[in-house]
Amino acid sequence: MSREKDAANYAVLFFASVSVLLLIFPASRIAHTARIAASYSLYPSMHYGARYGHFVRNVPANFVALLETDQENRALKDKVRELELRLQNASADDSENERLTGEMGLSRKLPWTGVWARAVGKTPADWYGSFYADKGSEDGVSPNDTALAMQDGRAGLVGRVFEVYPKFSKVLLLTNGSASTVCSLGPGGPDALIEGRGTRLLRMNYVPEEAAPAEGAELVTSPSGILFPRGILVGRVKKIYPRESFMNFITADVVPAVDAGAVKEIFLVKRNIPSEFSPAAQADK
Amino acid sequence: MMTILIEALIYLASGAFYWWWTQNLTFFGLAPDIIFAAALCAAILAGPVKAVAWGFFLGLYADVLGANIFGGYALTYTLMAYGVHVMKRHFDMDGAFSQLVAALSFSWLCMFFYQALNVVFSGTSPLGLKILLAEPLLNALAVPVVFQVFYRLKRRFRVL
Repeated sequence: MSREKDAANYAVLFFASVSVLLLIFPASRIAHTARIAASYSLYPSMHYGARYGHFVRNVPANFVALLETDQENRALKDKVRELELRLQNASADDSENERLTGEMGLSRKLPWTGVWARAVGKTPADWYGSFYADKGSEDGVSPNDTALAMQDGRAGLVGRVFEVYPKFSKVLLLTNGSASTVCSLGPGGPDALIEGRGTRLLRMNYVPEEAAPAEGAELVTSPSGILFPRGILVGRVKKIYPRESFMNFITADVVPAVDAGAVKEIFLVKRNIPSEFSPAAQADK
Repeated sequence: MMTILIEALIYLASGAFYWWWTQNLTFFGLAPDIIFAAALCAAILAGPVKAVAWGFFLGLYADVLGANIFGGYALTYTLMAYGVHVMKRHFDMDGAFSQLVAALSFSWLCMFFYQALNVVFSGTSPLGLKILLAEPLLNALAVPVVFQVFYRLKRRFRVL
C-alpha cells in the first residue's frame, strides 16, 4: 500500500512538473512543434475529406457523377460568394480611397483574393475562442490571413488564421479573449480598440466621449490597422457605458457582425503582412 | 505490449468520439466533456500511476483542441486523477450515484482551477457562464455511461 502510495506521489509530481513546464514555456519552439505534431496526428478525420475518391472507387458511375455534381455545385456557390465579395469591395469610396492612397505614394496593397473554407473543428469549451478551417498551406493559406464570413448578405470579420497545417488551419476568433483590432466609428470617424472577451459580445475601448457612437452604429476595420484589410464590418454598438469619473474615455458592448456560433463557411483573405509586423514578431519585441 | 496498444486505441477513440459529438450533437453549443469523463473514469478504474498518466495525456489532448494556455488541462486532469486516487480510499466510487456526485464536484473544481491557471498564465478568462452552469450537469450524466464502457473494456481486455 505504501509502495503504491509512493508511486502515485512520484507520478503526480512528474506529470504535474511536465504540465507546469508546458505552461511556463508555451511559446518555446519545442512545445510549439510538439503541439503541431500532436494536433496533426489527432485529427485524422480532417484529411479523409480530401481523399474521398479512395472510398468511392467501387461505386456505380451514376452515383459518382451525382457526387461530382454536388462538388461542382458547392464550387459554384463558393464562386458566387466570392463574386459578391468582389462586388462589395468595388464600391465607389473604396476606389476613391485607393486612388488617393496611390496619389499619396502609399502603396498599401489590400488584396481581397482568397479561398473559401469550411469551419470544421468547433468545440463547446472554446466556442468563442477558435475553430479549424478545412483549408491549409496546400491551398495557399498562411498565418495572419483574414477570416471573413457572410451574414445577412454582408461580409463581416470573423478573426485571423494563427496556425497553418498542410490541409487545415486554425482560426483565432475576434471574440477570443486575446484577440483585438483597431476599428473606425464610421467612415472618417475616430479609431477605437475592439477586444474579444471570450463571450458572444465584444468590448470597445478608448472611445473619446465626444465621439460616442449611437447604439446600433456600425464599426469597420480601420485603415490604420495592419492586420486586417480596411472597411470590413466588425460589428454594431449594442450598449454604451457612461464615462467613469477616473477615465477620459468611454467603453461599449459590441455585437459582432458575424455570429461565431453560426459560422459554417469562411473566406480566408490572402494577406501579405511583412513578417516584422506580424503579431508574433510584435509580441517578441 | 498488446495492452498498451489497446489503451492507446481507447485514448484515441475517446478523443475522436468527443470531436464527433461536438461536431454533430451539440445542443445550444453545449455537449458533455467526454475527455473529462474519460479522465475521471480512468482515474476511478485504473491504478494510481496509470490514472495520473491517463489524466495527463487526456488533458494534453484537450489542450491541443483549444487555443488557450498549453498544459492547463494536462495539469488540471493530472491533479484530478490524484484527487480521485486519494478519495477512492475513503469512498466507494463504483456506484453510479457516487460517480455522479464526483463528476459534478470535480467538473466545477476543474473549471475553476483551469480558469485560475488562465488568469495567472495568460490573463484571459475562457470560462463562460453557460458552460459553467450547464456542462457539469451534462458531465455528471455522461460519467456513469463512460464508466460502464471503460469497466467493460477493462474486464474484456484487462486494460486500465
